[in-house]
Amino acid sequence: MENVKCECGHVNPFGTYLCESCGKPLIEDDGQVADMRYEGVARRSQTYKKSIVDKIWNFFSSVKVGIWIIVLLLLASSLGTILPQEMYLPPGERASQFYENEYGTFGKLYYQLGLHDMYTSWWYMALIAALGISLVICSLDRFVPLYRALKTQRITRHTKFLERQKLFAKSGQIENIEESFAQAEEILKKKKYNIRKDNGNILAEKGRFSRWGPYVNHIGLIIFLIGCMLRFFPEMYLDEHIWVRDGEEVVIKGTDGEYFLRNEEFKVVLYDEDDELYRESLERAGAPVVQKFQTSATLLRRTSTNAIGSEPELEEVKHHYIRVNDPLTFGEFALYQVDYKLNELAEFTFTIEAVDEANEEDLSEIEFTVNLYDPEMVYEFENGYRIEIMEYFPNFVINDNREPTTLNRIPDNPRIIFEVFTPEMDPDEDQGEISLVGIQINEELNGENDYRIRMIDVEMRNVTALTIRKDRTIPILSIGGIIFMIGLVQGSYWNHRRIWLQNRDGEIWVAGHANKNWHALKNDFQAITKNTAIPMPIDQTEENLNERSKEIEGVEDNNGSTKQ
Amino acid sequence: MKQKRLIIRSVILIVMVAAIGYTFWSHFSTERGLVDEGDVAPNFVLRDLEDNPIELNDLKGKGVYMNFWATYCSFCRQKMQYLRDHYEDYREKGVEIVAVNVNESKVQVERHKQRFDINYRLFIDRNNLVTNAYGVATLPTTFLIDENGIVMERQLGAKTEEQVLESLDRLIPGS
Repeated sequence: MENVKCECGHVNPFGTYLCESCGKPLIEDDGQVADMRYEGVARRSQTYKKSIVDKIWNFFSSVKVGIWIIVLLLLASSLGTILPQEMYLPPGERASQFYENEYGTFGKLYYQLGLHDMYTSWWYMALIAALGISLVICSLDRFVPLYRALKTQRITRHTKFLERQKLFAKSGQIENIEESFAQAEEILKKKKYNIRKDNGNILAEKGRFSRWGPYVNHIGLIIFLIGCMLRFFPEMYLDEHIWVRDGEEVVIKGTDGEYFLRNEEFKVVLYDEDDELYRESLERAGAPVVQKFQTSATLLRRTSTNAIGSEPELEEVKHHYIRVNDPLTFGEFALYQVDYKLNELAEFTFTIEAVDEANEEDLSEIEFTVNLYDPEMVYEFENGYRIEIMEYFPNFVINDNREPTTLNRIPDNPRIIFEVFTPEMDPDEDQGEISLVGIQINEELNGENDYRIRMIDVEMRNVTALTIRKDRTIPILSIGGIIFMIGLVQGSYWNHRRIWLQNRDGEIWVAGHANKNWHALKNDFQAITKNTAIPMPIDQTEENLNERSKEIEGVEDNNGSTKQ
Repeated sequence: MKQKRLIIRSVILIVMVAAIGYTFWSHFSTERGLVDEGDVAPNFVLRDLEDNPIELNDLKGKGVYMNFWATYCSFCRQKMQYLRDHYEDYREKGVEIVAVNVNESKVQVERHKQRFDINYRLFIDRNNLVTNAYGVATLPTTFLIDENGIVMERQLGAKTEEQVLESLDRLIPGS
């Protein structure tokens, strides 16, 4: 596999179809018109197959392979949208059961194939990675030789190159060629062509930069993919959740315990039904419509550098109403409103009363409030009564061993076991009256009780859920996107046109090439041929077509039917 | 010329494969914890049920078995019973157990202690400050911290009695 030296003296890599310099065809073929793709340069990958590195390279350099990767990605991506992905399941649902229960056998299959969590599966990520590699290698393999060919192209091209251009013509012997060329040059200059001259021959070129459009576009895409990849790198991306009750201060995850958030108040604001502006549409909706979900939040910053866990000293940094799409931002962090819970139980207030109505003891002074997040163990009263909490279950369940326990520490279904001691009893010796109390539940656990604990008040709080987001990849993603668009515009709205005017022993040889929009090139030719001796080039492919269609018409005429 | 091409291609391929490889590794390997093997264990102060403080830095020179737990976590319950059975032995050998409850109420922790007859101190992490700083997401999570305050291992999930004993043995200073 040797390099090929053209008769013009330029050394071309093996596999070159048209000499990079003068354009002489180095490989003979039958076509009347030269294949101008990539300027007829050797796409190296297609010609070398040696080491394993070259083989891998060549595999990814193939556009066919690239297209297949894109097709597979499209198919896979659409598969993932048939059923909801795992992360969008209703809270508390288990994927292993949800798909089968909801969608039957198909759902089970969907789950077993791993399509429920597809976009982070190894094979989907591998496809994306393959796309990235394919993009890089395809682009490099084409851009580098193309750039070199366009840079090293000579002004005076080989006659065979000119002959085999799509737009080509030559005149007979003509006097004053220089004069015609000078006129043409003026016209082309006005049309903003870039003119280069060599030995009386002219190469007029326009819009070469549009040839780089696809590569610029690919660079944008690669930067975008790099941005996506960086999300997996430490410190680049954070996506955490916090729940904050009204009035509570919570450490903001991901800030190393430096920042805290206080939820002053969460509320759901409905549209005002009395407002003229909304009345009509609210009547149509038939139900209250939410205007906004709002957390009145205060950002706090730790000022002490004590060890973690000790009561942190906090100073207020700022206050913000967090609403949907209106996050609280600080530094690189943003806190978004994502979820809420209304009326979470916070406090129960109890009193006790005698079961026997004949008992006229005054118990009105016994009133105590149990904080459901952290109840007291003992409530003592001046009249000698003493109430102990024996057990507390914030979220009561009976577990598999048939023991009462709690599901978690959120007071969604609180049950309290109280032990009541009357003034006559000794808490260390005697056993008091035991009862299990919850919402609409009051059971006596050791025989009949003389006193009943009665709930007289409940206090509830709202809870807000916020997402903590830090994303350092956003600038990279936007730059990638912008470059992508620039490349797209560059390649789509401009085109590369070249006109060769050559004086070959007193004859005018004229040829043209455009990577697209041949119509514009033909117009340019019309302008320079109108008042000069330069002949108007003929579209050689169109000529072929005309000839062929004539033949077909002939067949039709003879047989009366079309054979196509 | 050909040599150069091979080098350029190899370098480009290696860079791409390395970047993609790292991405896959960081995505699919069991995630490294916020605090993990080899890290200096962040100092903290916690209070036990009698309101007595403990500071990690004061435990230098002792091996620390730091266990995050909750009353509703049944695997934690087993583990804490193994620890109860062997606590006295290992305390003499210089191993301290720091059982950190993840922000439950004092009643629950106190009753838990009574019911299971736990003989080591239980600490409540109010507002989960320590839990968050140590990046604890599942229970039980255990950190083995050596006598110099360096994390030897981060353990997730249930452990057998043998495994717990093995961990305690590793924590004996000078072992």
